[in-house]
Amino acid sequence: MKAKGEVILWSLLDKCCEKCKHSKINPCPDYIECRVKGPLCHDDQKCKELRKKRIEELKYGVHGSKIRIPLSSCTLATGAEEIYNKFKEYILEKRLDTEITISGCFGLDYLDPWFEVIMKGYPAAIYVKVKGKDIPRILDEYFEKKDVSNAFALRYRTGKAKGEEKVPLLDEIDVWKKQRKWVSRNCGFINPESLEEYILSGGYSGLSRSLKMKPEEVIETILKSGLRGRGGAGFPTGLKWKITRTQPGNPKYVIANADEGDPGAFMNRLLAESDPFRIIEGLTIAGYSIGASHGYIFVRAEKPLMASRLKKAVEEARKYGLLGENILGSGFSFDIDVILSAGAFVCGEETAMLSAIEGKRAWPRQRPPYPAQQGLWGQPTAINNVETLAHVATIMSYGLEEFVKLGTEKTKGTKMFCVTGSVSRPGVYEVPVGVSIRYLVEELAGGAPEGSSIKAVQIGGPSGGCIPKDKFDLPIDYETLQSAGAIMGSGGIVVINDNNCMVDVAKFFLTFTSAESCGKCFPCRIGLRKLLDILDKITSGNGSEEDIIVLRQLANSVRNSSLCALGGTAPNPVLSTLRYFGDEYEAHIRDGVCPANVCKAFITYTIDQEVCIACGQCAMNCPVGAISKTSSGKYSVDYDRCIRCGTCFIICPVNAVQKVGKKEMVRGEVCG
Amino acid sequence: MLFRKSVRKRWLGVKYVVKLKLNDKEIEAEKGKTLLEIALENGFDIPHLCMLKNLYYGTSCRLCLVMTSRGKLIPSCYYRVSGDEEFIVDSPELREIRRVNFELILSYHKIECWLCNRKGNCKLMDISRKLGVEGLPVCSQCPLAPDECLLTKGILCLGMITLSGCDAECITSGGQCWGCRGPVTREDILERAFRRYKELGFDLNDVLFRAEIFWNSLKEFERIREVVEKVKGDDK
Repeated sequence: MKAKGEVILWSLLDKCCEKCKHSKINPCPDYIECRVKGPLCHDDQKCKELRKKRIEELKYGVHGSKIRIPLSSCTLATGAEEIYNKFKEYILEKRLDTEITISGCFGLDYLDPWFEVIMKGYPAAIYVKVKGKDIPRILDEYFEKKDVSNAFALRYRTGKAKGEEKVPLLDEIDVWKKQRKWVSRNCGFINPESLEEYILSGGYSGLSRSLKMKPEEVIETILKSGLRGRGGAGFPTGLKWKITRTQPGNPKYVIANADEGDPGAFMNRLLAESDPFRIIEGLTIAGYSIGASHGYIFVRAEKPLMASRLKKAVEEARKYGLLGENILGSGFSFDIDVILSAGAFVCGEETAMLSAIEGKRAWPRQRPPYPAQQGLWGQPTAINNVETLAHVATIMSYGLEEFVKLGTEKTKGTKMFCVTGSVSRPGVYEVPVGVSIRYLVEELAGGAPEGSSIKAVQIGGPSGGCIPKDKFDLPIDYETLQSAGAIMGSGGIVVINDNNCMVDVAKFFLTFTSAESCGKCFPCRIGLRKLLDILDKITSGNGSEEDIIVLRQLANSVRNSSLCALGGTAPNPVLSTLRYFGDEYEAHIRDGVCPANVCKAFITYTIDQEVCIACGQCAMNCPVGAISKTSSGKYSVDYDRCIRCGTCFIICPVNAVQKVGKKEMVRGEVCG
Repeated sequence: MLFRKSVRKRWLGVKYVVKLKLNDKEIEAEKGKTLLEIALENGFDIPHLCMLKNLYYGTSCRLCLVMTSRGKLIPSCYYRVSGDEEFIVDSPELREIRRVNFELILSYHKIECWLCNRKGNCKLMDISRKLGVEGLPVCSQCPLAPDECLLTKGILCLGMITLSGCDAECITSGGQCWGCRGPVTREDILERAFRRYKELGFDLNDVLFRAEIFWNSLKEFERIREVVEKVKGDDK
C-alpha cells in the first residue's frame, strides 16, 4: 500500500516527476538512457533514488526475493507448469512475499526444467532437472537455511550463504564458458513479457543510438560489421538494405522471417520466446535504415507461444511509444504486424512468404526480380531472419568493435546452433562462426551418449547435407559447408550415431521435403517423389546398380532446375550421403546387407536361447504371433511370419532378442 | 534535363533496343520482351509447356530453362531482357536437363492417347519428339479423332501398344498399325491399352497373335504376356 506522501515508481518507464517532459505526442530523444541512468534533463536526487529503487526492485523482486521460472516451449514440455503451480502453493502456504516471474530458456535443454531463486544479499542460485516434489525442500533450503549447496550454479557470489564455495558460478561452468553469448545474452535471465527488464538489460539503446544517426550511416555501420544473413544463404545484410533503400518505389517494407520449420532447429523459437524485444528493436532499426514505415513478423503458426510472445511484445512497445508515430522524437514512424504463417514448410522460403502475407497461396515466385527490387505488393522489401535482426540490435547497442573481433575473415560474429539427436547434452549453443564441428558436437554437446558412437552430422535441416566423422575438423562457415556438400541453413545440427542407416536417413529427410513441396514446379514435385521411390526400392532390397547412377543424375537435375530454394536444396541429403557413404548404398544393392541393421528388408530378429528367461513377454506382444515356445521351454521366432516391427526387441527385459542381418542368419544356419 | 533518357526515347517513338548474344548469335531486341519470344523469333527452338501469353508466367514446367553467363539456370518465358546480356539457349547440357524434366512430366501423365481429344495436335508429343524422349503410343500421332478410331469399327490396330515416333505412311494417313516399331515400355500404358481392347470386344489372344508377328523375338514380349494375363484375370 502507498503510504501518505510517498512517491512510488510503478514502472521504470513512467515519469519520475512533473519535470520530465516526455509524452507520447512529444517524445524525448533520450528516453531510453534516462530511464536506466536516472533523469538526465534535471538533476534531482529524489528522482534518481526513485529510479534506483525501481531498478533494485526489478533485480531482486519488490520485497527482496524472487523466483524466476522459465516458461518456454522446451521447459513446458518437461513439466515447468507443474513446478510453477508448486511455487504458488508453497508461497501461499508459507505466506512469503516472494515474487514469481517468468523467463525464457537459456539454451541448455538437457537441464530442463530449471529455475532460479534470487534473494537480496544472497547469491542467485540456479537449480536444474527439478521435479515437482522437490520444490518445497529446495525452497526451504534456500529461504530458511540459506543453503545453496544443492544448486547447479550461481549467477553471482555474495559469500553469505552456506555451501557457496562448493557451487560453481555459471560463467565457470564448462558448457557456458565455451560459448560466446552475444545475441542470446538475455535469454533465460529476463522476463520476455516485460519491456522494463529488457530496457534495464541494455535494450533499445541500439535503436536510440540509430535514430540519432542518418539511415545511411546505420547501413554503413552494418556493412562495416560484415554481418551476413543468419537465415542460411549468408547474403550481407548491409548490402541487402542498401539495395532496398536505393530502389525506386514507395512504400518499402521490412519483414522478419520467423518461420522456422526445419526438424531439429529451434534457435529462432528460443530467441523469440526468451527475448522478443530484441527482434522488434532490430526490425525497427531495419525499417529506419531502409526507409520503411511498416514491418511484418512472419511467425510459424505451429509455434503458438512464440507468436503470442511476439504479439505481446509488439503491443508493449506500441504502448510506450517505441512503435507507432514519431518514435523517440525522431520523426520516424514505424509499426509492426505479427502474421501467422500459412502452415507449410515452404512458407519459410522468402518469395513464398511474400505470397502468404499478401493472402495468396504460399507459392514461391521466380527470382529475379529479387524481393529487394519487387517484393511485397510489388514494392522493395527487405527480408531478414530474426537472428540477423537480433544481431543488428546487439551491434547497434554494444558497438561493432566487439562484434568484429568474433568470427572468421569472411563471416563475422556469432551464430546460434541447435545440437540435437544422439548427443548427451542437446541444446542451443551460441559460438563464434568458424569453430569446428567437433567443438560443437563433442566439447559443447558432450559427444555421443554411452554405448554408441557418432557417425555423421546433418547440418542445415532437411535441405542440408550429411558430414561424416572424419570431416569434423571443418570450420563451420558458409563457404566451407557449401563445398563439403551441406549448407549452414538456419543452424540445426542433427547428430547421427552408428545405429542409423544413412540410406534410411536420406529417405527420412526426403520424405519430409517431398511432402512439403508446394507442387508448383515439376522437378521438385515429381523429381523428389521419384528420388524417394528409388530410395524405397533400395531399402526394400530391390535396388540395382543402375539406381545409384539415376539417383545422382536426377538429384543433380532437381537441384539445378527447381524454382525455389526448397527444391534447390532438397536433394542435398541424397547427394551428400552418396558422396560420403556410397559404400552403404552399395552394400544394400550388391551384398543385400544393411550395415547398421535398420532397413527391415535386410534384418531378422532372433532369440538367444542361452539368455532367454522364458518370460513370454515377446510372444504376448508380438502383433502377428510369430513367436512361439520351443520344446526346451524357451521362445523362438518364426522368420516367415515375422514382420520385423521390433516390438520384441524393445520389450525383452534381458536383451535376448537380437537384430541380425538376413545374410548372416542364413549363413549361420547352413554352417550349423 | 526534364526526363530520363529512356522516357525521352519512348516519347520520340524510338524503341529501346538491347544487344543480346544467344549462343554465338548476336542479335538486337526490344527491351521488355521475354527471352523466349526473342529466341523463338530468331530461330532457336526452346520447348515450353506451361507458359500462356499474358496469362500465366508461373515457370512450372522448367522446360524453357536457359543458362546465363554466370552458369545459372533461369526460365526464359519469365525473364524480360533489360540490358546487354549473354545467354546459352541450347547446349547438350541444357537439353539433358530439359529431357529429365520432361521425362518427369511424362511419368506423371496418365497416358490414354486413344481417348484424348488432342491427339494429332499434342504439345507433349511434339516436345517429346524434339527432345528425343520416347514412351508415347502411336495413337498420339494418329490423325483420326477418338470417335473415328479404327478399333471402334472393329479393325484390329496395334497403335495403342506400339511406340510412336515413326512417320510411316500407314499411321500418318490413318491406317492400321502393325506394330513394327516395337512395344511401349511403360507397363501402366500397356495395361490400360489391353483393358481398352477388351472393352471394345477384341479377343486378347488375337491381339497377342498380331503382335507376335514383329515382336516374337523381343525380350519384352514375355512381360506383355504377363500384362495380358493380368488383364484377363481381372474378371475372375
